[in-house]
Amino acid sequence: MALLDIENLGLAMTSFEGETQILHGIDLTIERGEIWGMVGETGSGKSLTGLSVSRLIPSPPGRYTSGAIRFEGQDLLQADEPAMRRLRGRRIGMIFQDPTTNLNPAFRVGTQLVDVALHAGRADPSVLGLAPGASARALKAAAKARAVEMLDHVGITNPAERIRSYPHELSGGMKQRVLIAMAMIGKPDLLIADEPTTALDVSVQAQILRLMHALVHERDIGVLLITHNLGVVAQICTHVAVMFRGRILEKGPVRAVLKHPSHAYTKALLDAVPRAHTKRGELRGLGGIDMEAAE
Amino acid sequence: MSFLRIENVSKVFPGARQGLFGRAEGFRALDDVSLSIPRGASFGLVGESGSGKTTLTRCILRLETLSAGKIWFDGTDLHQLPPQAMRRLRSRLQIVFQDPYASLDPRMTIHDIIAEPMVIHADTMPLSARQRTERVLELLLQVGLRSEHLFRYPHEFSGGQRQRIGIARALAAKPEFLILDEPTSALDVSVQADVLNLLHRLQDELGLTYFFISHDLGVVRYVCDDVAVIWRGKLVEQGPVERIFDSPQNDYTRMLLDAMPDPDPDLSPFRRAQTTGEIA
Ligand SMILES: Nc1ncnc2c1ncn2[C@@H]1O[C@H](COP(=O)(O)OP(=O)(O)O)[C@@H](O)[C@H]1O
Ligand SMILES: Nc1ncnc2c1ncn2[C@@H]1O[C@H](COP(=O)(O)OP(=O)(O)O)[C@@H](O)[C@H]1O
Ligand SMILES: [Mg+2]
Ligand SMILES: [Mg+2]
Repeated sequence: MALLDIENLGLAMTSFEGETQILHGIDLTIERGEIWGMVGETGSGKSLTGLSVSRLIPSPPGRYTSGAIRFEGQDLLQADEPAMRRLRGRRIGMIFQDPTTNLNPAFRVGTQLVDVALHAGRADPSVLGLAPGASARALKAAAKARAVEMLDHVGITNPAERIRSYPHELSGGMKQRVLIAMAMIGKPDLLIADEPTTALDVSVQAQILRLMHALVHERDIGVLLITHNLGVVAQICTHVAVMFRGRILEKGPVRAVLKHPSHAYTKALLDAVPRAHTKRGELRGLGGIDMEAAE
Repeated sequence: MSFLRIENVSKVFPGARQGLFGRAEGFRALDDVSLSIPRGASFGLVGESGSGKTTLTRCILRLETLSAGKIWFDGTDLHQLPPQAMRRLRSRLQIVFQDPYASLDPRMTIHDIIAEPMVIHADTMPLSARQRTERVLELLLQVGLRSEHLFRYPHEFSGGQRQRIGIARALAAKPEFLILDEPTSALDVSVQADVLNLLHRLQDELGLTYFFISHDLGVVRYVCDDVAVIWRGKLVEQGPVERIFDSPQNDYTRMLLDAMPDPDPDLSPFRRAQTTGEIA
């Protein structure tokens, strides 16, 4: 059974202009040990695909028009909110660029990490190394220890002190490490990361990618990595799906797709990235495909 | 002969006030920076966030005073110019900002946004309202937009189109020197490619000199002839792009180049370390 199996997923969103079909029959299967990159231009539907798996799109405005999202066989589109709450932060780790999974500036980093660890521990005490029916006190102590341990694990020096910091006291790279720690704290089987390195400098990005890569191999989890950076995909992904206007145009092992793209759009995307030997005037935008708004 | 020359420029921001007369130690955002840009060239400045790139552009535009050093523009010592003369010279020296969302006034039409520099520089550019509108139209077409866009507002445009509007505005006063501060960082790669090609074309057509700031080494290599690498306010290395990129001498430059994710999957350090199973 696949870890994650998205089948013919259709999503419509309602705005003041009425309902629009956003996702048109997404098919994607992720196995353990696979890092799936999802690339595409702004507005192509990457984030809404990721949010669908976590069931974080409120309804309204969202409405699933077709398909299934099976997580180890269980259709998440049929799951109720309490069931989803047990999965999120525990079996499904998430890094999104929105407030639901971001750091709250009003609370210490430690408080937020401990909350997530407690939540995961209540759903499954074994995550914190505890037996079923562990006392609230034991949970609390274990959650705190886990928070420090995870910070250490993602490469934050002095974790026992850092845990007392507020988010604004951390650099961009450190914040991103904390978010990864938070996503990984419940020992998830699936990680969904939406543009986790986009705001970072390349040197910090390289460190974060190394960290994610190590975590995947150590824990044998599956990852959906949403990014618009083809370089990032080429570096750490095992597979890639190319999104365009709510559809997956092309997908497969990363080397096959990036070295021998079968779709003209994929090729055009690749040709738009400046490389070492691209000569003046050789770079190609997506001239033929006019995605510009304001029509 | 250099068109813009930056000579031993340092910029120290004063530290926080402590007590009545005291101050914490200042922050050295630029430390003895020197570079020289010939007319018609594209000069790149790369470095990570906080390294001092924007501070340097603000020094060139005289939005900051210098703590030490000089900046020469076409033989004129910029920071010695009287305000009136500086205002006139500013029409020759324009800037395109990084964020096409924040840098355009949402309450102004595209026409007024692009026409504004012509109004500001009316003394060096005496145009009637009608002539201004004609020039705005010409600029719109030049940057790849259309005449029907003239009386629309910024929110009706995509990121790439907004950046074209920002470029048209920067060109309005007929500058010779353009500072581009991360002009494509907020754009999709596909849109970035079009904007970079537009910049190449405009340079050929108008004989512009570019000071191009970016943290993307691939972009700098594509656009620029020469490049300087800035680290914590210091230039650690500079020279022709081929030399800097192909045989960097400085450890920091090497680290930056290594950290840049290459879109070729065969060049991934992770993949090399992995088993070959996935490739089969
Ligand atoms: N809350 C919403 N209501 C209506 N449309 C939305 C909403 N959120 C996103 N969309 C639309 O859905 C499309 C896909 O968005 P998204 O998944 O965020 O794209 P990406 O992450 O690829 O940039 C976009 O066209 C966007 O305008
Ligand atoms: N007005 C100011 N007062 C104090 N420090 C400043 C000021 N402007 C910039 N800095 C500091 O100078 C450094 C360089 O900033 P900046 O030039 O914006 O970097 P970059 O554009 O390379 O990201 C940063 O550490 C920033 O915090
Ligand atoms: Mg998104
Ligand atoms: Mg800057």
